[in-house]
Amino acid sequence: MDVKKRGNRLGFWFFRTSLKLFGLSGAYGLLYPVCLYYLVFDRPAVSSCMAYIKMRFKTYNFFQRSFAVYKLLINQGKGLIDRYYSFYKPDQFDMELKGYGKVKNLLADSHKGMILLTAHVGNWQISMRGLEGLKKTVYLLMSPEENAAVKNTLNIDNEKGKVKIISPDMFLGGVIEIMKVINEGNIVSIMGDRSYGHNTVEVSFLGNNISLPNSAFIIAAAVKCPVVVLLSARVSRKKYIVDVTNIMEPRYTSRAKKQDEIKAYVQKFARILEDYADRYPFQWFVFRDLWESKVQ
Amino acid sequence: MQKNNGQELAEIKKTLKNLLIKDLSLEDITPDDIRDDDALFGEGLGLDSLDAVEIVVILQRNFGLEVKDLENRKDVFYSIDTLAKYVLENKKNGS
Repeated sequence: MDVKKRGNRLGFWFFRTSLKLFGLSGAYGLLYPVCLYYLVFDRPAVSSCMAYIKMRFKTYNFFQRSFAVYKLLINQGKGLIDRYYSFYKPDQFDMELKGYGKVKNLLADSHKGMILLTAHVGNWQISMRGLEGLKKTVYLLMSPEENAAVKNTLNIDNEKGKVKIISPDMFLGGVIEIMKVINEGNIVSIMGDRSYGHNTVEVSFLGNNISLPNSAFIIAAAVKCPVVVLLSARVSRKKYIVDVTNIMEPRYTSRAKKQDEIKAYVQKFARILEDYADRYPFQWFVFRDLWESKVQ
Repeated sequence: MQKNNGQELAEIKKTLKNLLIKDLSLEDITPDDIRDDDALFGEGLGLDSLDAVEIVVILQRNFGLEVKDLENRKDVFYSIDTLAKYVLENKKNGS
C-alpha cells in the first residue's frame, strides 16, 4: 500500500501524538478503526492485497479473505509505527539474529562484500539495524521516490550513518556502482520480491507462476560474492527475528546453462519466501498482483 | 614487429565483438553485424543493464581492467569504438 498517498499530515500527527501520550498500545489502537475504514472504502488498497490472500488462503470464503486483508493492513501499520518508534527510541525492540555468526565469518573470510536479498516482509528497515555490528556500509538499491519513506529511519546518506542509496535510475541501473562497492567489501541490499517488468524469470510460487527479478544472482555470479537472504518477522510485541541463515553462492557452470542455473537460484529464493508466507502469512506486504497474467 | 595503435585498436574491437557475441549469447549476430559506432545499450545493439555486468567481467578477465575505474564512465560503454579506446589506454595485460 502506498503510504504516502494514504496518509496525510493530520493522520501522521494523530499517530505520533498517541505514540507519545499512550505508547505503542495507544498508537496500535488507532490502527483498528483506520484499517477498517480502508477495508470498507479503499477498494484499490483491498484489491492490491487480495491477490496474495487468495493464493495464500485458497479455501477462504469472502469474509475470511476480507478479515485476512484487515489483519495484513493492521500488521503493516504496526510495522510503520514500530519503525517510527525505533527511530526515536532505538533500544525498544529485542532482535534475535539467526545466522549472524555465519554472515560475519563470510565477510571476514573474503575481501569482497555480499548481496542481501530481502523482501517486503516483517520490518526490513528495523532489521537493517541488527546488522550494524558487521561494520560495513550497506547500500540500498531503491528508487528516489522510495527513499523518503525510509530515509529518516535509517539515517540514509547521513554522514554518521552506514546506509547509503544506489538508485536504479543511475546509468545502467546502477550495476557498475553495485559491482564496485561489493568489490570494496560492502553490502548491497536488493528487494527480491518485486519485478519492474524486465530482467525477471518465471518461477513457481504458491501454486502458480510469478516473475521475480534475477539481477541479484547475475551480479553475484559475476562478482563472485554470496547472496544472503534477509527476512525479518515480528514475533511478539517488542521482538523481531532477523533470519540470515539462507546463503547462496550463485555461479554458472557454462554460458549455455547460465539462464537455467540462475533461474534455479531464483526458484530457491521463491521457496524461501513460500516458507516465510507459510509461517508469517500476515507479514508479507505484497500489495500487488504478482500472479497477474500468469494464472493458467 | 611492433603493432601500431591503429592495428592494436582494430584487434581489440574484433576481440570485443567476439567476446560480446559469445558471453552475452547474442544469437544470429556475427562480428560484422556490429558496427563500431553502434550504441550498445537501448537502441542499437539493445543490451540492458545486466548485460553491462557481463561486459565488466569481460573487461576484467580479458584486459585486467578494474570496476572501480569504470564508475561514472558512461562514455566508455557507449559503443565498441569507445570500449576499445578505453581498453587500449588502460589495459594491464595482453588480450
